[in-house]
Amino acid sequence: MTNDGNSVRFDRRTLLKAGAALGALPLAAPFVQVARAADTIKIGVDNPLTGTYAALGKNEATGMAMAVDEINAKGGILGRKVELAIEDSTSGDAGVAVQKARKLIDRDQVSFIIGNINSALAQAIANVANEKGVIHVVPGGHTDSITGQNCHWNVFRVCNTTQTEANAVAGSVIKSAGKKWYYLTPDYAFGHTLQAGMEAAAAKLGGTKVGADLTPLGTTDFSSYLIKAQAANPDAIIILQQGDDGVNVLKQAVQFGLDKKFHLAGAQLELEVLLGLPPEARVGTWVFECYWNQPNVPGLKEFVAETRKRSGGHVPTARTWFGYASIHTCALAAAQANSLDAVKMAKALQGFKLPPEIALMPDGAYYRAGQNQLIPNLYVGHPQAQGKDDPEDLFVVDQVVKGDDVSPTLEETMCKQDWPA
Amino acid sequence: MTQLLLLAVINGLIVGAFYALMAIGLSLIMSLSDVINFAHGGFLAVGAYLAYSMAPYLGFWGGLIVAPILTALLGLLVERFLISRVYGRDPLYSLLLTFGLAFIFEDVTRYIWGAQSLPYQVPGWLMAPLSLDLFFLTGYRVFMIALIVLVVGALFWVMTRTRLGLRIRAGTLDLETVSVLGVNVRVLRNLNFGIGIFLAGLAGVLAAGQLGLTPTIGSSLIMQSFVAIIIGGLGSLTGTLLGGLLIGLAMNVTAVFLPSATEAVIYVMMALVLLVRPQGLLGEEGRF
Repeated sequence: MTNDGNSVRFDRRTLLKAGAALGALPLAAPFVQVARAADTIKIGVDNPLTGTYAALGKNEATGMAMAVDEINAKGGILGRKVELAIEDSTSGDAGVAVQKARKLIDRDQVSFIIGNINSALAQAIANVANEKGVIHVVPGGHTDSITGQNCHWNVFRVCNTTQTEANAVAGSVIKSAGKKWYYLTPDYAFGHTLQAGMEAAAAKLGGTKVGADLTPLGTTDFSSYLIKAQAANPDAIIILQQGDDGVNVLKQAVQFGLDKKFHLAGAQLELEVLLGLPPEARVGTWVFECYWNQPNVPGLKEFVAETRKRSGGHVPTARTWFGYASIHTCALAAAQANSLDAVKMAKALQGFKLPPEIALMPDGAYYRAGQNQLIPNLYVGHPQAQGKDDPEDLFVVDQVVKGDDVSPTLEETMCKQDWPA
Repeated sequence: MTQLLLLAVINGLIVGAFYALMAIGLSLIMSLSDVINFAHGGFLAVGAYLAYSMAPYLGFWGGLIVAPILTALLGLLVERFLISRVYGRDPLYSLLLTFGLAFIFEDVTRYIWGAQSLPYQVPGWLMAPLSLDLFFLTGYRVFMIALIVLVVGALFWVMTRTRLGLRIRAGTLDLETVSVLGVNVRVLRNLNFGIGIFLAGLAGVLAAGQLGLTPTIGSSLIMQSFVAIIIGGLGSLTGTLLGGLLIGLAMNVTAVFLPSATEAVIYVMMALVLLVRPQGLLGEEGRF
């Protein structure tokens, strides 16, 4: 490096270091908020506030805050007020998520920990929570193993497993599109198990795979994959990307006119993705995990009204409900066990049915014993380009599926819980 | 397979041209100001969001023209009041400054427009594919390439045929001499920064036509421009252009054979270039 008076010339090493630092940009977390009070019960939240899942994280946070207010209005947990200790897990860095989980448990002394949207991060947090013996509720990370092969006695999950989602939607896709599927799969835990789940569900119905591409998380340009998918001439292109990746791939697929040649479908679709798409790209066959515009669900109207009040008129998404149900799960566990002892609370939740005003599902929802997985309803349907009475009414539910009918059996999940003696 | 490869090559050049557009702006600033502008992606996002907000009033075309200009004006202000203060200091200062700005841009866009991805629409007639076989050649992408060729062509013309361009290029080689010869280096750097940011804003508007508009749209695209510059060689706009096209090609051809490695391949290329030809393919010897 030389200084010639007017300027300093940086050298290649600086440029490379700078590039490395740029890659680390998402690691640095600007947002930390910790609540401290001796007589309160703290619930640690280790969920994305920045990065590709920021929008989903925000909606989950809205639901969580709503639940906290409801719980406190009714006297808190075991007579103590509830507070959230919120950390930004980032959207994709398991190291950061683990570090934040340890901080929440060790330093903030939280009684429960909530997280994460990213399956890989959820699994990493679960391992920490298990080591520390703290109740962990996963609001919205779907990969099977969390309540499957790597399940733990202390880890509960609100959102569905990828296999359950696949089972719910596979029949509809085969009926509306055909049996030859090409997969576009995000290259991480969630995508891998979702594709495996779709393949298994399709195989039972005679469906076949004509090709599959793993796309790196955060891919912006999907044209190369879409060219390959088109060349394979499938009946349906199964799009498993979520979040911003999901918006990008659908937007580009429709710009290429692929929705006119093939059926575009997938498993999980979220309202956040539909809202981010131009009207013409709101197409396909999908499964929603919670939908705000449903008839005959007790408590749902009030939930929608309260969410609108808190989020500038926006309706709740599945994420809002995940956050909401996660926090209520913590309070219900403590109330049911009449204790903050993690083992007692976990035992109290085995087979526990959520009250209808929290489940917000036509057939209710319960935590399956031995797996700690919530079994709710699922909503199979198709998007509509424009909402009729409400601009955010973008999904048409064709079929409400019972979770019990599409969940893999306890044996199939391969979950074996190792309870403390 | 041959057909698939051919399609991948054509598509790779399209994608690469877009990376080149971003990288050239970044490279301009790096060459003359010796500042690695980490906030480039932030400016890109600002350009895209401005176009989105203006679309109801000015339409797509108005936004396409006005948003990059406004972004460039913002760039001029940021350079004048912040970045110009760290010239001549240890590069660490400018790194930290632009690094911080990148965070500020991302959080401010999230604060104003929200984290929820927004649907930015291009005119319907631009959306359709031009032919059934080359379905990935949509009107929009062809338009995008034409515009990039036009803008990059104009930039090269400015750089080689005008006094401003001559001074920028001279300043890139030896700023002190240019200064001694009576050129106002402060203004020169300011204008050069503005041009770079104009390109970032334009890239942002173009990107929003194909991607969901989110606060992270810039940071998700910026690494590729960095790699393009290192591969192409600093100090050479032609090199940067070449670098952009090469990584677009590499990513698309890799997608045919090993789709999960599309991201890794550009870093492998970068490593190879650094080992074999550290100054980059067309970079000046000795500069680096």
